[in-house]
Amino acid sequence: MQVFLQTIVGGVSLGAVYALVALGFSLVYRTMGLVNFAHGNVVTVGAYLASTFYLSTKLPFALAMVVAIVVTGAIGLVIERVLRPLENKDFDLMLIGTIGFGIVLDALIIMIWGATGRAVPSPVQTAPIDLFGLRIRTYDLVVLAIAALATVLLVLFLSRTKRGAAMQAVAMDHEAATAVGIHVGRSNAIAFMIGAGLAALAGGLVGPLLYVSPALGGALGIKGFAAAILGGFGSIPGAILGGLAIGILDSFTAGHFQGYSELVTFLVFTVIIMVRPTGIFGERTVNRA
Amino acid sequence: MRTKLLVGAALAVVAWFLPYGLDSYAIHVVNVILIFAILAVGLGLVMGIAGQVNLSQVAFFGVGAYATAILTTHAGLGFWVSGLLAIAATVLIGIVIGTPALRVQSHYLGIVTLGLALAFTNWVTNAEVAGGAEGISGIPSPELPGVDLSSEYLYYYLELIVFAVALAFGLFVVRTALGRRMRAMRDDALAAGALGAEVPMLRMTAFMLASVYGGLAGVLYAGLIRYVAPESFNIANMFLLLAMVIIGGRQSLIGCVVGAISLALVREMLVDHPTIAQLAYGSVVVLVVVFAPTGLAGLPRRARAYLDHRRGARGTAAQLGAFQPYEPAASASGDELLAVQGVSKQFRGLKALDDVSLTVAAGEIRGIVGPNGSGKTTLFNVISGLYKPTRGRVVFRGTDMTGRAPYRLARAGMARTFQNLRLFGDLTVEENLLVALDRSRTLSAWRYLLRPLNVLRRDRALRRSATDVLHRYGLTQFASLAPKSLPYGIQRRVEIARAVAADPALLLLDEPAAGLNGEEVRQLAEIVRSIRDSGRTVIIIEHNMGLVMSLCEQITVLAGGRVIAEGTPSHVAGHPAVIEAYLGDTGEFEGATR
Amino acid sequence: MTTGLSLTVEGLTVNYGGVSAVRDLSFEVPGGDAVGVIGANGAGKTSTLKAVMGLVPRRSGTLRLGDVDLSGVSARNMVRHGIGYVPEGRHVFTGLPVEKNLLLGAYARKWDAGTRATLAEVYDLFPVLGEMRHRLAGALSGGQQQMLAIGRALMSRPRLLLLDEPSMGLSPKLVGDILTVLQRLRSEGLTLLLVEQNAKLTFEATSSCLVVENGAVAMSGTSAELRNDPRVRQIYLGL
Repeated sequence: MQVFLQTIVGGVSLGAVYALVALGFSLVYRTMGLVNFAHGNVVTVGAYLASTFYLSTKLPFALAMVVAIVVTGAIGLVIERVLRPLENKDFDLMLIGTIGFGIVLDALIIMIWGATGRAVPSPVQTAPIDLFGLRIRTYDLVVLAIAALATVLLVLFLSRTKRGAAMQAVAMDHEAATAVGIHVGRSNAIAFMIGAGLAALAGGLVGPLLYVSPALGGALGIKGFAAAILGGFGSIPGAILGGLAIGILDSFTAGHFQGYSELVTFLVFTVIIMVRPTGIFGERTVNRA
Repeated sequence: MRTKLLVGAALAVVAWFLPYGLDSYAIHVVNVILIFAILAVGLGLVMGIAGQVNLSQVAFFGVGAYATAILTTHAGLGFWVSGLLAIAATVLIGIVIGTPALRVQSHYLGIVTLGLALAFTNWVTNAEVAGGAEGISGIPSPELPGVDLSSEYLYYYLELIVFAVALAFGLFVVRTALGRRMRAMRDDALAAGALGAEVPMLRMTAFMLASVYGGLAGVLYAGLIRYVAPESFNIANMFLLLAMVIIGGRQSLIGCVVGAISLALVREMLVDHPTIAQLAYGSVVVLVVVFAPTGLAGLPRRARAYLDHRRGARGTAAQLGAFQPYEPAASASGDELLAVQGVSKQFRGLKALDDVSLTVAAGEIRGIVGPNGSGKTTLFNVISGLYKPTRGRVVFRGTDMTGRAPYRLARAGMARTFQNLRLFGDLTVEENLLVALDRSRTLSAWRYLLRPLNVLRRDRALRRSATDVLHRYGLTQFASLAPKSLPYGIQRRVEIARAVAADPALLLLDEPAAGLNGEEVRQLAEIVRSIRDSGRTVIIIEHNMGLVMSLCEQITVLAGGRVIAEGTPSHVAGHPAVIEAYLGDTGEFEGATR
Repeated sequence: MTTGLSLTVEGLTVNYGGVSAVRDLSFEVPGGDAVGVIGANGAGKTSTLKAVMGLVPRRSGTLRLGDVDLSGVSARNMVRHGIGYVPEGRHVFTGLPVEKNLLLGAYARKWDAGTRATLAEVYDLFPVLGEMRHRLAGALSGGQQQMLAIGRALMSRPRLLLLDEPSMGLSPKLVGDILTVLQRLRSEGLTLLLVEQNAKLTFEATSSCLVVENGAVAMSGTSAELRNDPRVRQIYLGL
């Protein structure tokens, strides 16, 4: 039991990071019906930016994160703007376009930061907390808190602000949204920007948990996507639950299958998609003639 | 055609003498390029031709190479035996990786196949049998009596022959029935299914084809490098391969080869600056998808279109011919052909169909009319298998077909057209018809391997039938044009011709007169009557009441998802419930019309 | 509600993928008046409305609201010039609450006390929306969604309201409710352009009508005249 709980605790912080990645995927998918395959690379960019400002310019961790989020947000804007001509036309081409951006970002990362990775020291130096015999790292708690805060802010933005409501409206019916005066392209751009910002947040937070390297985003991206699908694509609570579930699954497979953990995670993910493509909270879609 | 053959022959000669001008490093580079070209053809088949987003091609490559390595070094089998077994193993993996395509498409399929590719690298990096991160070395080179294949110069010829055969086979598939059906499925899976294409089977076939090419490339790679390691099959190489196919033009196998060769050459030139190369091809991929989605292969056509446009050439001068009526067949039995029994269809809150029943006799032309949103198209979708009814049954030719897949209904003798036209956009008019004319099962694709001549003969017979259909519908001059370039009225006619080409007993027409002018509507009526007289049954949804009234013997009126009237045109037109549904209220109009 | 402005459309032509859905259509809706466009399905009614709104490209044609030329205004800015649009099939934002839907109707305006006042007016016009303000729009019945679609368009305080088949799929009783609403809006001085298949409703709600067939005007006249014209029935039932 103790081991079981400890495994869960071990997976939660990474799960929170996956949840942030999943939120970014979901937000873009909700508004544009597009899966951004460059999302994982944006996570890596975020991780490098945050760690660079944190390590070399000695900016406080929080401030380094803010810089990372702003820069990646701008990257998100660029991606959306370039691919905008394909919106609502050819989704497979858009998908490949985002892969293209992923390739470009990957190259830029290696050019700027080199092919080797870096370890980022935890910004919180306190000893792990002991709770009923469970060891909980303080940084894990920080990650959880920030992820929760980001989620709350996102939900508030979507539900309380005019712009947030407009973004949801665009997702539901872009023609009706146009008719009430919403600029659909701008709304999509903002969705993309926020998605990229969330990716950077995830990247910045995961730096001290994992080794920051050009390969970081690949696995994070796919697991974040798995989380988004698991929860039901486009659903915010789904993304959170999906993220935590994948994090815990990760933690278990790492314990039981060691090196093969990725293999098992992806196989489980494939089976889940086959059984229920719409995820736990997803809606069924119908074919239209 | 002749120039193409000449170019092909010239290229073959150049390829044959190429090694004489190359040093040992250059020939190695060429050998690697050929392997990538084979991989690209496979990826082009599954992605460009069949439209299945497959990010696992590099894993197929890896399975082929690793299986060869393991079988030769651990099991001590000979290279050729190992190679054959390796390809068999790759096909098995191809089936596994293709399975998700039965359930998900597009983005989802992309991410699943990418995940499975990562799972593969994860496995080889960890598995002892695969040598872990160090990989496997000491793979023997293939032995061939009298030929020393450990020489890269001679190995080149082995690769060249395999590549030529692989490319020729790919082109053979693309240009005959199987490839046509795959392209139809890529353009519009729904319409392809409604014409009888077994979509699930086709998707699996596409993945199997891709895996054969992947496996083949893997075996050749193992024999060439004689060493395999995980990093050769990583995601970066998958994306490189994808870039080759996209830049070359995914819908053309030649384009894929050109993309593979040119990108590999560029990468070779920038071998000291791999990240710059990566940056460059990544950017080109983005530019290509936005500005030239058909890639390099599509450039000549785009250039021609542009020049025509500059010269002010006005579309095509092709003329629509007159419709040649069918030979009347013995009048149909009048037995019940289709029975819809108590069908309801619920979409979340909305009841689109509510206890709808109707029977249609063989040889009838039945009209289905009703105001907007009354459930007409939903009824068609239930009948043709696109929707499963919430309640009720659909009996076709005495068999309960409720909830059967559209392709099964099509094979049972049902064909339909769609309200918004669903022609296969990237196929020519003739190919659209060919897809419908081809009634073979996808399973019979084994003929491609064992009886290619039989395939060719069948294809020629199909083309002859297509010529007949084109002629009958007056479409001969449009045969080689893309449907999208045609006037709307002609597209409508193509869609009807395509549906009838599938030789249905029951033809469902969904608003065939929408967007047609008066003369075209008159021709349509003539066509539909002739189709019926040839022994088929027609159900027609239409808003053009003049057409329905003059064409149909029986009319069913839907409103709010229910049948509100049924009978002869005059009966229906005088029915108070119909007048209310159409005009609002009966009372106000009675005085006026009497 | 605000006083309505006149709408003048001249030479409107719309092509959809090769078909001309609307051919050289000209008409005028006087300020504060209500004009109906009726005709069978597929006659080009919806295309006309969408083209006025700019949601489908106009091949040719000019349009003026009052004295302002709107020919070059994009769809999303039409609302800022005073055109409210009620789409065919309602198209409410199903995943958002009723009140959010209404507020989004006022997207082009500042959300302030004025918006609150308009919201109160809409709730006054459609009390059922007030009762359901926190429900998701997708959970509403067809009739309620239609009310919501009209209410959403009114939130921008339009000078001209375009309505596309508000009676579609509604029971006769609900069609009667829609009629009452349209008559009330008209009495308050709003200009209405109503596209309908339901001729009865249209004749009751408008003062004059166009009957379109194949994208062109087949007949026109006052609603009272057309109501008694047997040719309307012919066009509808194809006799």
